[in-house]
Amino acid sequence: MTGMKELVEDIAKALVDIPDEVSVREVQGEQVTVLELRVAPSDLGKVIGKQGRTARSIRTLLGAAGMKLNRRFTLEILE
Amino acid sequence: MGQKKYRVETVGPRIEAFLNSTRERIGLRVKFEVTDGETPHPDFENPEIMVRFSGPDVELLLANKAELLLALEQLTMEMLRMPAEEHSLLCFDANDYRVLRVEELRLSALAAADKVKRTRVPFEFSPMNSRERRIIHLALRNELTLRSESVGMAPHRHVVIYPSDMPSKPDTASVPAFARRGRRR
Repeated sequence: MTGMKELVEDIAKALVDIPDEVSVREVQGEQVTVLELRVAPSDLGKVIGKQGRTARSIRTLLGAAGMKLNRRFTLEILE
Repeated sequence: MGQKKYRVETVGPRIEAFLNSTRERIGLRVKFEVTDGETPHPDFENPEIMVRFSGPDVELLLANKAELLLALEQLTMEMLRMPAEEHSLLCFDANDYRVLRVEELRLSALAAADKVKRTRVPFEFSPMNSRERRIIHLALRNELTLRSESVGMAPHRHVVIYPSDMPSKPDTASVPAFARRGRRR
């Protein structure tokens, strides 16, 4: 438990139109934790953003948190 | 001046709630304050809302060209559903980074303009986001013998300054091969 699942969940819920359909699954690896984000199909653009900017911003936040926790986080947005 | 679209009383609490939970989850040791906008460079930026950060992790916010600070700003804009043309109304800052950056961009635009006038060789800036490109264009708005253009695709989009009578170069070099096919010029 790192709180990163909740971080991605909170941010995604703040961005989308249908927060009830936001779900995040955390898959722990040796060094890397993969966070799989699912949203309603109509909300995909909201979490990806223009030219992927929003997704990049979320990854930047995960990078900062990863530095603090000494762990790498990967965000996968599942379609 | 018209009516302000964003006010601390209305959007402040939403910004605070969003940043508080984000800050805690990341473990960022920073404080922040949401205030009405100030305009040290009114010709360039007129933010209605300022968010200023301080504290031990400010360096982390400003690392890598303020990557984390700008990521928080962008997510906050999306959270508030601000349309792109209103993005200059919200400004996140720490240690006056943004204020100094405007000054830095303005001065480098003027230096580059001078060089193009002397040499008649187009000048290409390094890639910038739209907000920074806008500042370059604004800094050159009174240069009658020069023309500035944004070329390429994000994240490589950048400003080029030409003598105003010189045609633009095709910008294929900055476009990835997959996107080049079928592009009409």
